Amino acid sequence: MKRRPQLNHDELHQLRWLLGGGLVLLSTATVFYMEIDAWTLMFVTAAAVGAVMFWPTLPARVPAWVHRLAFPVIVAFFLGDLYLTGELLPPIVRLDILLLLYRGISYRQRRDDLQIIVLGLFLVVVAGVLSVSLVFALQIVAFTACALAFLLNLTLADASGVKAAGDAGRGPPPWAVQVQWGRLFRRLREVLDWRVVTLGALLFAGVVGVSALLFLAIPRFQLENSLFLERFMTRKARTGFSDSIKFGDVTDILQDNSLALSVDITDPTQVPAQPYWRMVVLDEYRDGTFRLSTALRAATFSPERGDVQLRGVARAQPEEPVYWTFYLEAGVSRYLPLTGRFVQLRFRERQNFRFADRLGLVVLRDEPVSMTAYRVEGLMAMDVIPDRQMGAWLERATESGAEQTSAALKLELGADDLGRLARVVAEIKAGMEPDVEEFSRRAVAWLQARHRYSLQSRAPPGAGDPLVRWLDSSEPGHCELYAGALVLLARQAGYPARIVTGFKGGSWNGFSNNFTVRNSDAHAWCEVYDAAVAGWRRVDPTPGGSADTGSDTTAAGAAGERRIDRSWSARIDSLRVFWYRRIVNFDSRTQEEALRAVKSATQESGRRVRAALEDALARLKAWMAEPWDLRRLLQLAGGAAAAVALAWLLRNARLAWRDRGMFWRRRTAQDPVRREAGRWLGRLQGLPVEPALRADLERLRYGPLAGRPPLAPVVRRARQAWRARHEARITREN
Amino acid sequence: MAKTQTPKSTGAKARRFTWNRLLWSLIYPRRKHRIVFTPAGLLLTLLALGIGTAAYNSANNILFITLSLLLACLILSGVLSWLNFSRVSWRLQAAPPWRAGLPTVAAISLANRKRFLPTYGLWFEVALRAEAAQPAGPASTITASNRDVRAALARGRQADATTRLHLRTRLDPLGEAQVEWPLTPPQRGRWRVELRAVGSLFPFGFIGKSFATGEEQSIIVWPAPVEYRRHGAGGARRQSGEEQRARAGSGGDLLALRRYAAGDSHRLIHWKASARTGQLLVRQFAEDTSEGYCIRFQSDASRWGQPEQFELGLSLAATLAEDWFRQGRLDGVALDDAPLLPVRSLHDLEAWLDRLALLPPLTTNGGATGTGEPPAGRQQRNLVNIAPDGVRGVAAYLDGEKTASA
Repeated sequence: MKRRPQLNHDELHQLRWLLGGGLVLLSTATVFYMEIDAWTLMFVTAAAVGAVMFWPTLPARVPAWVHRLAFPVIVAFFLGDLYLTGELLPPIVRLDILLLLYRGISYRQRRDDLQIIVLGLFLVVVAGVLSVSLVFALQIVAFTACALAFLLNLTLADASGVKAAGDAGRGPPPWAVQVQWGRLFRRLREVLDWRVVTLGALLFAGVVGVSALLFLAIPRFQLENSLFLERFMTRKARTGFSDSIKFGDVTDILQDNSLALSVDITDPTQVPAQPYWRMVVLDEYRDGTFRLSTALRAATFSPERGDVQLRGVARAQPEEPVYWTFYLEAGVSRYLPLTGRFVQLRFRERQNFRFADRLGLVVLRDEPVSMTAYRVEGLMAMDVIPDRQMGAWLERATESGAEQTSAALKLELGADDLGRLARVVAEIKAGMEPDVEEFSRRAVAWLQARHRYSLQSRAPPGAGDPLVRWLDSSEPGHCELYAGALVLLARQAGYPARIVTGFKGGSWNGFSNNFTVRNSDAHAWCEVYDAAVAGWRRVDPTPGGSADTGSDTTAAGAAGERRIDRSWSARIDSLRVFWYRRIVNFDSRTQEEALRAVKSATQESGRRVRAALEDALARLKAWMAEPWDLRRLLQLAGGAAAAVALAWLLRNARLAWRDRGMFWRRRTAQDPVRREAGRWLGRLQGLPVEPALRADLERLRYGPLAGRPPLAPVVRRARQAWRARHEARITREN
Repeated sequence: MAKTQTPKSTGAKARRFTWNRLLWSLIYPRRKHRIVFTPAGLLLTLLALGIGTAAYNSANNILFITLSLLLACLILSGVLSWLNFSRVSWRLQAAPPWRAGLPTVAAISLANRKRFLPTYGLWFEVALRAEAAQPAGPASTITASNRDVRAALARGRQADATTRLHLRTRLDPLGEAQVEWPLTPPQRGRWRVELRAVGSLFPFGFIGKSFATGEEQSIIVWPAPVEYRRHGAGGARRQSGEEQRARAGSGGDLLALRRYAAGDSHRLIHWKASARTGQLLVRQFAEDTSEGYCIRFQSDASRWGQPEQFELGLSLAATLAEDWFRQGRLDGVALDDAPLLPVRSLHDLEAWLDRLALLPPLTTNGGATGTGEPPAGRQQRNLVNIAPDGVRGVAAYLDGEKTASA
C-alpha cells in the first residue's frame, strides 16, 4: 500500500493557525444578521485576523507591552460601552468580538485555542437566539465542522509531542517562519486519503443527522418562560407600524421587499385573496400626524399581563377549528398582524402584552428582538369590526347634543381647511344624505378621480393642513394620503373614521404552502363607523384597493384567485418557513405529533410489508400447487440460475470493494498475480518478515503492472519465510 | 537467561457483535475500560449543561439545536475513538538481557489491521514493578512509627509509578510501528514489565479513553556489572596428566553449533545449517587451552557484613563469570555448598546469572568481619571464591589469593 506522508509539527501548527483564524472570522460574521451595532469591530477583526492568518510572523512584531495592556484596555472598553449604551447584551457581544480579535492576532497555547471555540460558540448562539434566523442553522453547522477539525488538529499536534510555541513579544515560533501556504495545501492533498475524507464527511453528516434526531427526541416541557436575552436588548420597530405615523412612513416600508410575515393555515380556503392584516389603529389627527389617542388607548386596551395565551372575543365554532400560525419577523412591529377577531391566541413562549378587544389589536410590551410566533384559533377575516360601545356612545352624544369629544370625529383644522373640506363633502354628497357605505363609495370615487396613485408624491406647498392641501389638489398620492384624506372627509360628513396600518394582500408560497407577506405589502386604509352594522367598516380608497366589502377580502375559497409565488425568493422563503415550522416553533405538542406520525408510519409500513410478504407467499404456494411440466421446471431452473448469478456478482463486487475499494478497478483486483501476492501478505501478516520480501510482495500486490518483479521467486521466498516462522512457532510451543 | 511469559493479549479481542452488548456498552463502559474527561471535555460538559438549562428554561429551540449538536459531537467523539482503537494490536516486547543499573529498551510493537483508516495518538501506561515480596509494612498507622508509614507509602507510590509512552506518529493502515521504552532496572531480582493500559485522547481531546490490557512480562534482572581490579597473584593452573576437556572458546576447532544470541558476531553464523533448520545457528569453536576457573558464591548471611557488600559480591561474581565466559575461561559455577555446575554453553551461564539474580537480599547485617579469608570447604582446582574484602569491598580469591577485587 502506498505510504502517505504525514504532516510534521510545523505543518500541523500552521493548519491550526489557519483553522483558529477561520473560526474567528466565521463567528464574527454573525454581526451580519445579529443586528447589533458592531460593524466597525467586525471589519477590524476580519482585516486584522485575515492579515495575521496570511502573515503569521506579524504578531511577533507587536511589542510585549501591548500584550500586557490588552486585557485592561478590553475591560475598560467594555465598562465604557456598558456605561454609555445602558444595555447589557450589545456590550457583551462587542466584548466577545474584541476578545476574539485579540486571540486571533496573537500566538496561542492550547487553552487560548479552546477560548476561541467557546467565545465563537457564544457569539453564534447569541446571534441565533436573537435573530432566529435560518442563517444560524448554516452557521452553526459550519462552525461545528470547523471547530471539530480544529480540535482534531489540536489533538494530533499534542500527540506529536510538540507544544504550541510562541510567547508574546519573544519572536515568532519556528512554524510561523517562512510559511508557504501553497505548499501546505499541496501537502494536505498528499496526506489526505480520499476514503478517509469521505468517511469523515459521512460521519459529519451523521453528526448533523444525529443532532436532528436528538433535537426531535429531547423531551420538552412547557415551562412558559420567556427568553431571558430579550431583557438585555432593545430594538426599534419600523415607524410605519408604531403608535403614530407621519405621511411617508408606510411608503418607506414599501421600498423593502424583505419578508415580514409568514402565515400557516390549517385550512387555506379560509384565507381571502386580498387579506387585510390589521396592526395599528390611529384615531387622532393633529399637525399632519395620525396617532393613537390617549383616550382610545385607555378605553380599549386591557392592563398589561404576561401569559402564553389570550382568549379572544369570538365564539368557538362547533366544526373543526382553523389554526393560523403567524411568524412575524423581528423589527416589524410590536403590534401583531390580525385580520379580525379570534377565539384564542397562543404564543410560543410567555409574552407581556395588552389586548384591545374593541379594536381587535394585540400589542406586545417590547419590540421583539427575534421572530415572534403565535398561533391563532378561529381567526376571522372581517370587513367590519363590531363596536357596539361606539354606537352607544354616539347615540348618547346625539341625544344629549353635547360636543363631540371622540377623537374619531375630531377635526383640529383651521377655518380655511374646514371650509375646503366642507366644499368637497358637499360635492360628494351632491345634495343627498347617503349612508356610510354610499358616502364611502362616493368619496373613494371622488378621490380616485382626482388623484392618481404614485409612491413619489407630496402635498403641494401652501398654507394650512398638508393633507387638506393634497386633497384639494390633483397631485398623485399614495395609500397614506388616500386613507388620511378619506378619514377627514368622513369626519367632515359626520361619520367617525380612523386610519389603520398594516399589510394588505401577500402571496401564496407555492413551495411551502403558506401565505407570505412582505414589507412591500405595507398599507394604510381607513375604517368608518357604520351605525347600521354597529361596527367599523373598512374602506380602502387607494386605487386597486377594495372600497366596498367585496368577497375577495373575506370569503373563503379564494384559492383560485390567489397569486401563487413560485419565484426563487419564494423558494428561499419556503426554507425559512420550514425552519420556523419544524425547528423554531417545535414544542411539546409538535413533538407528540411527530412521534405519533412516526409511530403510525412505522405501523403502516410494517402492515404493508407483512401484507406483501403474505401475498408473495400465497402466490408462491399457488404456483407450487399447480401441475408441473417442462416449462415450469425450466422456469424454476432459470430462477435458481439467476439467483446464483446474482450471488456471484454480489460476491465479486464485495471482493472488488474489499481489495481496491472501487468497483471500476475490478480488472486490476482480479489480476491473479495481485491476488496471489495479497494472499501471501495476509498469511505473513504479523510475522517478522524481512523488509525486502514484504516490499516485493506489496509491489506485486499494489504496484503498477509495468516493471514488477517475477512472481515465482517472491512466492518461493515468502513460502520459506512462512515455513521457518511456522516451524519456529511450533518448536516454541512444544 | 531472563525468562519471559507469553503475552496474554495482543490488543482488542474480537467479540461477537450483539445489539444488547452495543447498547449496554453505550451506557456503561466495559470492564477495565476507563473514561476520563479532560479539561476540554469538562468544559464541553459544563457548556452543554448550561445550554441545556437555558434551553429548558426558555423553551428556545435554538438552544436545543446547540445542545443536540454538542451531544452529537460527543457521540461522534466516541465513534471516532472506537474506530481509532479498532483492529489495532499491541505486544509488549522486553528482550533480555536485563542488568541492574544498566539502561535498556523495552518496546511496544503495534500493528494496525484496518484497511484504510490510520490510528493516531495512542498512549501506553507502562510500569516496571518488582515481584519480590516487600518487607512487611506497619500493621497500623497508630502503632507504626512515622518513618515506617512514610516508607510504606513511598513503596506503594513506587510500585504504582507508571510511565506514559506516546505514539508520536501516525500508525498507517496495515502498518506497524514500535514505541520504545527506555528504562533502567534499579536492582537485581525478578521484575514485572507491565503494559497496564492503552489509551488515547483521539479525536477531539474531550475524553481520555483507556482500557487495561493486563499484558505483562516477568523478567529477571541480573546483578549489576561492576568494575573490578585484577590482581596478578592468581593464575589458573593445570596439573600435569589431567584430561583436557573441550569447552567453548576462541580457538580454531569447531566445537558445536548453537542458537544465535544477541551480540554474536554475524561472521559466526552457520548459514547452511541455519537455512536447513529455519533458525539462525552460530559456530562455536573449542578453546585452545583448557585453563579455566570455577566460581563459587557463598550466600550465607553470616559471611557478609553489609547488605550492600552482599550485593557487590553478587555483582562481582556475575561480572567475573560473564567476562571469563566470554574469554572461554569459565569452567564451572557453584552456589553455596552445591556441587559445581559445568558451564558449557551460554545457557549454563544464563542459568547461573538467574540464580544469582534471584538470591534473597540480605536484610540485616550479617556481622562478618570481612577479613578476606577464603571460605572453608571442599577444595577445587582453580576455584574462585567471592568473599568480603574489608568493610565495604569484595574480592575474588583463588586458592586464598586475591585475583580480583571491587
